[in-house]
Amino acid sequence: MSQRNNSGAARRRREASAVPEPRRVRPVPKRKLENKKMTRGHGASRPAKRGVRAKPVKARIGSMDYTFLMLVLVLVTVGLIMMFSASYPAALNATGDSFYFIKRQLLFAIVGVAAMFVASRVPFQILHRFALLLYGLSIVLLIVVLLLPEQSGVHRWITIPGVINIQPSEIAKFSIVVLFAHLISINYEKMKDPRYGIWPFLALLGVICVLMVLEPHLSGTILILGIGIIMMFVGGADVKWFFMGGLAAAVLVAIVALMPGIIPYAQTRLNFWLDPWSAPRNEGYQTCQSLLAIGSGGLFGVGIGNSRQKHLYLPEPQNDFVFSIVCEELGLVGAVLIILVFVLLIWRGYVIAMRCRDRFGSMLAVGLITQVAIQTILNIAVVTNTIPNTGISLPFFSYGGTSLVMLLGQMGFVLSVSRQTTLEKLE
Amino acid sequence: MKTPPSYRMKTRMVMVLAAMIVFGFCVVIHSLFQIQIVQGAELQERALGQQMRTERIGAKRGDILDTNGKALAKNSTIYQICVSPGDLKIKVGENADKMKEKRSAVIKCLEEILGCNPDTVAEALDNTASFYVVVKKKVEQDDYQRLMQEVNAKDLKNVIFGEEMTWRRYPYGSLASTVLGFTNNDNVGAAGLESYYEKTLAGTPGRIVSLRTQGGAVMPMQYEQTYDAKNGNTLVLTIDEQIQHYLEKNLEIAVSEHRVKNRVTGIIMDVETAAILAMTTKPDFDPNDPYTITDPDWLQQLQEAQEESFQQESVARTEEEKAAAKKIYTDKLWVARNTLWRNKAVSDPYEPGSVFKIMTLSTALETGAATVNSHYNCIGYVEVAGRKIHCHVWNSRHSGHGDQDLTQATMNSCNPAFIRIGQSIGTARFSEYFSNFGLTQGTDIDLPGEANSIYHARLSDADLASSAFGQTNKLTPIQLITACCAAVNGGKLMQPYVVKQVVDSDGNVVSNTAPFVKRQVISEKTSEEVRGILEKVVSEGSGRQARIPGYRIGGKTGTSEKLDQADSTTGDIPHILSFFGFAPADDPKVACLVLLDEPDVYNAWGSTIAAPIVGSILSDVLPHMGIEPQYTAEELDKMTNQVPYLINFDLHDAESELRIRGMRYRVIGSGSKVLQQIPGAMETLPEEGSVVLYTDEVQEDNVIEVPNVVGKSPEEANSTLAGLGLNVYMNGGKLEGVASIAISQSPEAGARVPSGSVITVEFTERDPAVENTLSADSPEEGDGE
Repeated sequence: MSQRNNSGAARRRREASAVPEPRRVRPVPKRKLENKKMTRGHGASRPAKRGVRAKPVKARIGSMDYTFLMLVLVLVTVGLIMMFSASYPAALNATGDSFYFIKRQLLFAIVGVAAMFVASRVPFQILHRFALLLYGLSIVLLIVVLLLPEQSGVHRWITIPGVINIQPSEIAKFSIVVLFAHLISINYEKMKDPRYGIWPFLALLGVICVLMVLEPHLSGTILILGIGIIMMFVGGADVKWFFMGGLAAAVLVAIVALMPGIIPYAQTRLNFWLDPWSAPRNEGYQTCQSLLAIGSGGLFGVGIGNSRQKHLYLPEPQNDFVFSIVCEELGLVGAVLIILVFVLLIWRGYVIAMRCRDRFGSMLAVGLITQVAIQTILNIAVVTNTIPNTGISLPFFSYGGTSLVMLLGQMGFVLSVSRQTTLEKLE
Repeated sequence: MKTPPSYRMKTRMVMVLAAMIVFGFCVVIHSLFQIQIVQGAELQERALGQQMRTERIGAKRGDILDTNGKALAKNSTIYQICVSPGDLKIKVGENADKMKEKRSAVIKCLEEILGCNPDTVAEALDNTASFYVVVKKKVEQDDYQRLMQEVNAKDLKNVIFGEEMTWRRYPYGSLASTVLGFTNNDNVGAAGLESYYEKTLAGTPGRIVSLRTQGGAVMPMQYEQTYDAKNGNTLVLTIDEQIQHYLEKNLEIAVSEHRVKNRVTGIIMDVETAAILAMTTKPDFDPNDPYTITDPDWLQQLQEAQEESFQQESVARTEEEKAAAKKIYTDKLWVARNTLWRNKAVSDPYEPGSVFKIMTLSTALETGAATVNSHYNCIGYVEVAGRKIHCHVWNSRHSGHGDQDLTQATMNSCNPAFIRIGQSIGTARFSEYFSNFGLTQGTDIDLPGEANSIYHARLSDADLASSAFGQTNKLTPIQLITACCAAVNGGKLMQPYVVKQVVDSDGNVVSNTAPFVKRQVISEKTSEEVRGILEKVVSEGSGRQARIPGYRIGGKTGTSEKLDQADSTTGDIPHILSFFGFAPADDPKVACLVLLDEPDVYNAWGSTIAAPIVGSILSDVLPHMGIEPQYTAEELDKMTNQVPYLINFDLHDAESELRIRGMRYRVIGSGSKVLQQIPGAMETLPEEGSVVLYTDEVQEDNVIEVPNVVGKSPEEANSTLAGLGLNVYMNGGKLEGVASIAISQSPEAGARVPSGSVITVEFTERDPAVENTLSADSPEEGDGE
């Protein structure tokens, strides 16, 4: 069947359905979105191709969660502005073009938003089918990346110059979310049984983690572990295992802390975390510069565009440390407002998950939104030196094309979950 | 599959959400609050610390001018010449010969224009890894321009280059060096006025404060603020370059004349205002190059130290011994430098000896402990607290001065008499006046390193006795001359000062120093009596050799024993000889204190050594100050035209002898003993002629070929001969206003005579009739007349 017909029909149907919906009587923004979507009509073709292979689960499409959509768009917009502000001196210095980073990021953002709308129209249930496939693909890519030559001392990127630059770990993250959601949705009744609720998950997680540690990519590993564990918890695994795991982790941390030398660089890293000013020019440099940037912001900030620390003092201001510049330029007030938008987004994501009538969709939303939450928390914790420095980017803000596209695509799936909720409600 | 999430799942979702908000977002917001609000100010300051760059805008250092505006210290631009050996490196594929040619051109260029040692330049050029080697410092503008012309001509621009620098220049060399001090390599005052007035002279360097990126570039559209440099202010001193020159000239002679071990110090002060007109300590240093020792005595000592150092180093076994051996020389060098830099006039207290009797005398007259009519009998010694104190005449006469009135006692500088005077003053009043004369604290003169006096706060009887004639208490020369001026200027103790005015770089007066009366110590009447007595000291007493005809000079000699530095084996006590003189005695304008620390002379007394030096100085200074001589009838009587015998006299003594006779004189040579005099002893000095004293052997360049003056008028003949340094004795019809003409001369024209020789010229009244026929070759004609 023709995807164009399909989407066209869907649009028509939603237009019809939007009017009677009692909860959302907001015709103006909706129409705006309609218009946008119409201009990107052809972009909707590709995911629908998958739809060719998928059996027609649903012919009808519900209204998506506009609160969530707005929050995502706000974050993408603010993220782009702040990334540009933070990055232009670094861009000018590195490439001679102030717009180097923003041009690319803007392009990827457009692609990403398009991907989000496309994904939002894809019935998420098709991911059931791809769960194992995605996982397998991740494993293959994670092995391939280990065989490729190092970049910046680590095996983290698969690069086809000028075409694409992907991190297999990003795909692995997504595959874990999908696979876990899949497993939880089918094994929900047996989740209390460790044979179903614990060990398979740990095994699946373990393989990915081992491969990622080999890259090495510690921050990504932590992220995946976090997402996985939270999904297991929400999915219904027995709480005692989490206590036991927590205890084991605590013991492990205590051992590392009390017996310096077990992990060779752990102790010094710990020291630089506790007192970055002990080596402000070496190991503590990035952290110190970040603290100086944040501290310079004060309550209201130095004003947008006026950051001084971005002028090559703070390394990578466009990337992991973009939030330091946000804090410097917008101050505590601006930073808290942005954090609030993140919190709202996460809250809305969880609301979508709770409202979903399908466990798979619910768990999918939980996994995807938890990923955003953990990444945000860890990133801000790193730039404020609340936790030791690990390379975690800030969703919607940090420079990185593929990850932005993937992130927006994943948000699209969350929206897809929300659509079906509203649809089912209507029914 | 279509099962909604269970209640438990939803509960757990809420738990996770809550946990993430509480343990995640709240924690990071708390962190942000901590960083941005609690530590915000501190971190912001730290951040600005790394972001702000301050560029200095140099401030021009102020000049130091003498009282008449002559620059004693000023700034000049000099260059530091550098080479870049790296640019001579022979690269692969380049013409090696061309580089070698260039290299020899560099060496030749530097040798010819700057006089650089070709070997050292070659060595510098061998270091091809470097692009910056300084080959010559302190190159003058002219030399630099010549060098750059040559460099441009030979296309050596990359290899030789100059860096512009500001250098402190002292145009008069060592003149007043101990007062001026010097600046260090950073152009910061390191000694003397340069250091005392550092803030005034240095000005405030300006700053450009701007925000810079990590790379140092100016941040676009960011904060930048310029603070203009404020140039340093110029100091105008009370010191007169000419007076300073007279003082230094005389003290330099004194140093070599008397082989003074511990330097000679002299101060010339305006009696009424206590402004310092000149101050020096010789030998000193050249502030243009303060680290180089030029004094021959010290050079010899340094050489000895170096030899000793080498010798010890050669036998040294351990590293420590070697270091110790090296230290011998370096220590000596620092002692030499610190000694020569030291301004003894303010930094070194000494026992003033009999000069202090001026204070005792003033105190006695003021308190009524003595009057001009008091009489004292000196039997050669006096017993105080069971100890005999001898008068200075005891050694030669084994008797005393006998009966003397107060004036005579001062003229004789009689110690027993002054002990009596001190006793009649009493300890309380003595201490009170000692303090009133400003001798218990520094003078607060605007010079660095002023020492305070060392004195007895409570005097015992013995202390009082020795204090009365100037032993026991140590005073700095500046304290002493200030107190002595107070005694003779009408009793006002003044605040001495060196800087009379501060002027900013645009010429506006910033501040003026007004003379400041600290207190009235003695009355005008007492001061007048003191002046009278001190004039007698010079006119008839121990200070006779300071006499200058035409001037009324007052003064007091001083010979102090450095009892604390007596040689333990021989018992020899080193002496400090000093003289305080002032003029005119009836209305003092200028005072001069000179002290010679450890002159190497037999039977050294201040009267015979320091007095003529002061006389010599004052005879130079007084006419310069516009104080014209007024000869008394007695002085005019004493003036003869018979030249005394002066050969082998110390220069200052010879000068004193000539001064007393009212004769003018010139000194040729740099020695301190008179080796030859022209005209010779007992010869007649022509009117307005001058005696020439040779302190070195007569050199060829001092031999003068006698010109032909026959046929010239007396004025012409006189100016021709005097201009060459010859004396003219005019014979015959030399009459003012009457036309006369020279008809013969002796020695003949063309003869070679030493400078100062007398040329006798015969004149005759000009006969207008023969005027046209009279020629130079007809001397006989006039002979008969």
